[in-house]
Amino acid sequence: MTTPPPTSAEPLVRLSGVTYKHYGKTTPSLVDVNLSIQRGSFTLLVGPSGSGKSTLCMLLNGIVPHILGGKLEGKVVVDGQDVSASKVQDLAHSVGMLFQDPEWMFATLQVEDEVAFGPENLRQDPDKIAEQVTRSLEYVGLNGLRKNLVWALSGGQIQKLGLASVLAMQPALIVLDEPTANLDPATTHAVHQLILRLRDEGKSIVLVTKDLDEFMAQADDLILLDKGRVVAQGTPREVIERHGAEMLDLGVWLPEPTEVGLRLKQRGLFDGQVPITVSEAADAFGGFNFLEGRTRPEVPTRGEVLVRAENLRFGYNKKSRALRGVSFEIRQGEIAAIVGQNGAGKSTLSKLLVGLLKPTGGDLTLFGRKARQWTVQDLANDIALVFQNPEHQFLTDTVKEELEYSLLAQGIDDPDEVHKRVQAMLKRLEISESEGHPFALSAGAKRRLGVATMLVGGRARLLIVDEPTYGQDKRLTESLMELINTLRKEGITVLMITHDMRLVDAHIDRAIVMADGEKVFDGTPSQLFSSPEVVERASLRPTALRRLTDELRARGKSVPHGLNTVEAFVEAMTP
Amino acid sequence: MNEHTLAYLDQDSLFHRADALSKLLWVVVVIVLAFQTTTMEARGILLAALLVIALLFARVPLSVILKASPLIFGVALLLGLFHFFVTPGEPIFTFGPLHGSQEGLVKGAGYFFRLAIMVLVSFIFIWTTNIRELMVGLTKLGIPYRYAFAIFTALRFLPIIQQEVDAVQAAHAIRGRAARSPWAHRFRLWQRYLFTVIVNGLRKAENTALAIESRGFGAYPTRTYVKPYRLTFVGVLIVVAFIAAGAGLILWEKGLLVL
Repeated sequence: MTTPPPTSAEPLVRLSGVTYKHYGKTTPSLVDVNLSIQRGSFTLLVGPSGSGKSTLCMLLNGIVPHILGGKLEGKVVVDGQDVSASKVQDLAHSVGMLFQDPEWMFATLQVEDEVAFGPENLRQDPDKIAEQVTRSLEYVGLNGLRKNLVWALSGGQIQKLGLASVLAMQPALIVLDEPTANLDPATTHAVHQLILRLRDEGKSIVLVTKDLDEFMAQADDLILLDKGRVVAQGTPREVIERHGAEMLDLGVWLPEPTEVGLRLKQRGLFDGQVPITVSEAADAFGGFNFLEGRTRPEVPTRGEVLVRAENLRFGYNKKSRALRGVSFEIRQGEIAAIVGQNGAGKSTLSKLLVGLLKPTGGDLTLFGRKARQWTVQDLANDIALVFQNPEHQFLTDTVKEELEYSLLAQGIDDPDEVHKRVQAMLKRLEISESEGHPFALSAGAKRRLGVATMLVGGRARLLIVDEPTYGQDKRLTESLMELINTLRKEGITVLMITHDMRLVDAHIDRAIVMADGEKVFDGTPSQLFSSPEVVERASLRPTALRRLTDELRARGKSVPHGLNTVEAFVEAMTP
Repeated sequence: MNEHTLAYLDQDSLFHRADALSKLLWVVVVIVLAFQTTTMEARGILLAALLVIALLFARVPLSVILKASPLIFGVALLLGLFHFFVTPGEPIFTFGPLHGSQEGLVKGAGYFFRLAIMVLVSFIFIWTTNIRELMVGLTKLGIPYRYAFAIFTALRFLPIIQQEVDAVQAAHAIRGRAARSPWAHRFRLWQRYLFTVIVNGLRKAENTALAIESRGFGAYPTRTYVKPYRLTFVGVLIVVAFIAAGAGLILWEKGLLVL
């Protein structure tokens, strides 16, 4: 290796003129990237979907280009090692990486074995590894579960185990790629606290996340990527001041108080420093007044009952009680959400609704008929479920055939009619690649096609969407929500399963809150967030906008109820 | 959580306490016995003994055995039936154009028992063995850890593929049925399961490979182990007991041992 050993003044990471093209791709994923990351710094990496965030992370530990191939130009130096000239395994001494879904990173069966796996590979002394395992597990709060099987862990525990496994290797740099993408709000908060603790202890961290609000004031650096280029690098405050409007346009998820500040600036109503925390926003907006009457009405819909659950129970086996007597109704025209902690029974409930599971107790009536009398295929005409991974649903080789399949399944086989409906749906979805393979679509287009395959027949009355925002940037989410809202206006009832409290607050009339297989709340989002005990029990967390509203009210401001979105909030503000 | 049919079960049992290499040897002994025994009675005893072991000494829940039974008995039954009908001999059973013979019955039953025994003993091994321990054990025998780990990865992927199949099946079911004939529909779905499961399986395998390499796997020709491999008395006892019982069974079959 020709690179000299690092000195303390030298940055931990330096990228000079880096352009990288994935194997088989014509356009580069990273374009002329120049940046440096200092030792002991905490760096946020943000950008819209497909901007090159994950590629950049994988470049830091050598997965790119050593394992994924492709063409790398320019120079990447990490912890004194030239990445092009080092093996991934050697870089493992320097860089620890936690992936979005760490379940895939697990190499063993038992929690303590998993933490030991990395240091064992690096041939560390077994006694030292044993100490390191205990220390890392204690750090993340999993020492009590060290003998457990990794499969038996909850989503949050899996992420904590992933973090412990990285910590045990004592890397110079910790890279975290969307570590909380699929966690409930309270668990996300707990993982965030762990990350902040690492930061306080001086660890060098690179974090990709869409939940920025707990980190903006804590991070040393924020790097904004778009189409593989570094658009900006600086302190979060600097980047927000100079590029905030651009970030909004790109569809980057920003903390709501920051977004409020940027929107006010765009309207010329505010010229102060854009706030990056709730308390800063409360200070900055203290001089504003709020107009009444600009809120979205939160009125429960009283249409025909489509779904009625009475004391509904379900268990996967004799020991498990996934649902313990849940009762609710879903009426025509509603837009509701099932929310709650990981493992609360939300997915089980959705599978019962589409007939994939049958109740083991209590009553479930779907469109006037008992659930036990329905077959999944008959029910498929009335209820549509869009899975978190839409690829699972695809059955054919082109986008067009995918829609045709759904029509045929509903007995619509007149070629002219099929053609007409398919074309109309493609236009509506803004998918131009009608001959393309569904698996080759972008993440956003896949989700839209997932919805379309379920609705093209025009008979579905209830649409269930599992985690609409998972893996999507703000713009893609907004486009999906726009589609869902249009469908709702056309009379389709919508039920979402989500951890995204912003989504709940902005789009939902009614939240059904689950905790430990029981329904613990059923009401409007406003009622939900004014019940702290429910919020806590179901591992939820009010949005930053709610917290800002509460803070302003605590300071004596009169903020009307129902300002649940940034748009509504800004609309109501007057200097 | 759903029970995994093809994965390690977290139980405390005699077989869970036995070390991995002894159990691997035990699997070999059982398979040798399945081929060395010649009568249906002896193989039946062996299969029954394995079921008792699974339920009592490995504490495998009956529900897991039932869930795995299409793999344990179903495939063996198909193989048995195939031999029953294709083996030439005096017909004792006729079903349309198919004739089953006495010779076919003996041969078919033989294949059924052998395959069922082989699959069941392998399942008991998977259900009771922490594969990491097997990996460490194999390296003790001089096998490079990269190869030993390959066995682990293969076994680790079984439940993941099973989960993927379940998820794809569920997602397909709610798409409704586009083909007129149920068989054409099933055929279409099967094609798709394979495609989707393979594409997603490969993607996940790649992710796993990336994750494991970035944790230093393969950095050096050897690695250290926090938990060294230990041969257990229970493991050795199981092997010795089975060799003795197997020898007894063969002698009994040959009429050299009278009970």
